[in-house]
Amino acid sequence: MDVLFTLLIEPITKMYLLKALIGGSIVAVVCAVAGCLVILQRMAFLGDALSHAMIAGVGAGYLFMKVFFGIEAAAGAMLIGSLIAAMLTVFMIGFVAKVSRIKEDTSIGIMYTGIFAAGVVLVSVFNKYIHIDIVHFIMGDILGISDTDMIVSSIVSAVVLSVIILFFRYFKLTSFDPVMAASIGIPVLFFKYLFTGCVSLVVVSAVNMVGVILVVGLLITPAATAYLLTDRLEKMMALAAVFGFTSILGGLYLSLWMNSAGGGAIMLFSTLQFLIVLIFAPRYGMLADKLRAKKAVPQQITEDIIGSVFKGGGKLSMNELTSYVETTKKTFANALTSLSEDGLLNVAANNVALTEKGKAEALRLKKAHRVWETYLHHMGVPEEELHEQAHILEHYNDAEAISYIHEKMGFPQTDPHGAVIPDIYADGSFCLTNMFGFSKSDVQVVTIKTDKGIKPGDRVKVTQTEDSFELELNGQIIELNDAEVASLTVRLPDSL
Amino acid sequence: MSTDYAIQVRNLTVSYGPKPALLDVSFVINTGELVGIIGPNGAGKSTLMKAILGFVKRDIGEVYIFGKPVEQTRGLVAYVPQRGTVDWDYPVTVHDVAMMGRYGHLKWWQNESKEDHEIVDECLKMVRMSEFRDRQIGQLSGGQQQRVFMARALAQGAKILLLDEPFAGVDAATENAILDVLTEAKKAGITLVVVHHDLATASEYFEKLLLIKQRLYAAGPPSLVFRQELLTEVYEGKLKVFTDLIKE
Repeated sequence: MDVLFTLLIEPITKMYLLKALIGGSIVAVVCAVAGCLVILQRMAFLGDALSHAMIAGVGAGYLFMKVFFGIEAAAGAMLIGSLIAAMLTVFMIGFVAKVSRIKEDTSIGIMYTGIFAAGVVLVSVFNKYIHIDIVHFIMGDILGISDTDMIVSSIVSAVVLSVIILFFRYFKLTSFDPVMAASIGIPVLFFKYLFTGCVSLVVVSAVNMVGVILVVGLLITPAATAYLLTDRLEKMMALAAVFGFTSILGGLYLSLWMNSAGGGAIMLFSTLQFLIVLIFAPRYGMLADKLRAKKAVPQQITEDIIGSVFKGGGKLSMNELTSYVETTKKTFANALTSLSEDGLLNVAANNVALTEKGKAEALRLKKAHRVWETYLHHMGVPEEELHEQAHILEHYNDAEAISYIHEKMGFPQTDPHGAVIPDIYADGSFCLTNMFGFSKSDVQVVTIKTDKGIKPGDRVKVTQTEDSFELELNGQIIELNDAEVASLTVRLPDSL
Repeated sequence: MSTDYAIQVRNLTVSYGPKPALLDVSFVINTGELVGIIGPNGAGKSTLMKAILGFVKRDIGEVYIFGKPVEQTRGLVAYVPQRGTVDWDYPVTVHDVAMMGRYGHLKWWQNESKEDHEIVDECLKMVRMSEFRDRQIGQLSGGQQQRVFMARALAQGAKILLLDEPFAGVDAATENAILDVLTEAKKAGITLVVVHHDLATASEYFEKLLLIKQRLYAAGPPSLVFRQELLTEVYEGKLKVFTDLIKE
């Protein structure tokens, strides 16, 4: 207990640490939120450029107040100076890239080193007037954070966060599709500069804590970590804020325990956090990729299973099925699990049966097979090889692609053996001919030509009789003639 | 000013720096037409598109949308970006993208209303993308991706659609799927203007073509635009290909 207390609780009872934690968290959270938009617009380098440009602004602001008003180290003037320097850098980067053949990345490199150098020279030439500790500037000092710094960065953070929340929609649209944004009258350039201004502000306040070199990490690492975990910008920002906070929290403890520089420990912790997520993220992580690859069942096997069961009348005993499908036991078991998870197959102890969705899928595969056979026949492949080659090709069965080939051949009705090619359309609807095993199956009518009171959109129960189909609509049973069956296409209800 | 035309461009000249990107371009597009804009690289096709969207500085000339100056008709023309320029990894869902169509109707302090959500759902239904509403846009097929942007245009309430090279870099099946979407939109009475690169398919896809290289060289049905002397002048040097095209 005592050890835990010393390690975890005691530190935050110390004022300077508590201040570091609160001040650092405020800045880190806002950095992370703004950072989401930075990485989505591929502006990561900009954070670096802004922080370096800052020293010129801080120096100039200091000098200005000292020379004209005799005030030493005026925080406000230094902040305004940094902002001006940052905006000037951004403007110069864009300007050089626009008027010359120099590309933007090169332009960033030139401008930020140039303005950084100007700052360093300024500070050293006027070292009699300016008392800025360059080392502090480069390394940051989160443990020595002053009350003024804390107030200034709180205000800055509040302003930036409000701007991002208020104009969230516009930042999202201008970063995702600037041309569309401009076409509906959103001032894209204004928002670009507003955002750059916001980033400059948070970067300037973060430099105090972690220093020039590491600040870009605070901006982009938590955001990138969140990017691996979600598919929505809102969630990404919320998660990034959490990671920003934990970076500061974890980093501060790390620096205490290991007695290291605060800024370094924070960024180290943040990076470790990123690496862990990179490995373990459920969808975009490395491990998930590996797992997916391992669990993946060859499409060919699942499709062969569906095909075999369909051929067997929609239901097969386990023994029959294993004799049709050639594969290892493990893959076979995996395939059955994945088919039943996808709702295509009902798996019982010693038999399997296709669901309605499974039957539709089987029909789709059948269409692919027969379309490929027809195509191969057109290409002059000998009769006896048709089936075998089509059996391989049928696994290339993207619905849109198959429909395209079908159309390009002029919609042949039958394959070379005279079997009907089932019609399945891009929206998943299909015709009932060639289908079997329907017994009171719930479907939605897509097209029908009849005067028996059934309309497209009706939900009906379809049952296959000896040579036709009958539909049950609101308890009333309607038998269809051949022409009506031919005109009928149905779709499985969305709930399936 | 007649309001019969969906788009009317008169004496349009636009220049970046000393060289004009567009020089004295005039044409009209009728409501419900499916029009292709063709021309070599750097011919000013995208500039023309930006002019029709109303955010390019014109030196001279006017652009009218349904008889009104383009500046007063924000949102009536919707833009479908070129596939290559979209960041498909951007963390937005199908629903989010369609909702962007409503942004132009909302003041900056307003939240998306229930009505906006209903409109978006309706539009997703129209392009048959309802079941994918929570899917991230990178996880869709090419045809589906095009339909998402179509839904966004519908949600915007646009009567004219500008598509930037929708067929660039897509496979044959997707190309077909996109054509289906275009046909459906045309049936719904929407005017479609498509920047197109592939001369071989242009005459098959479009009922009307605009041939552009800074100036407008020809406008009209493909048979009228695909004339040897015109193509020779606009596409210098690539003659052999065109003799084939014209024979067809």
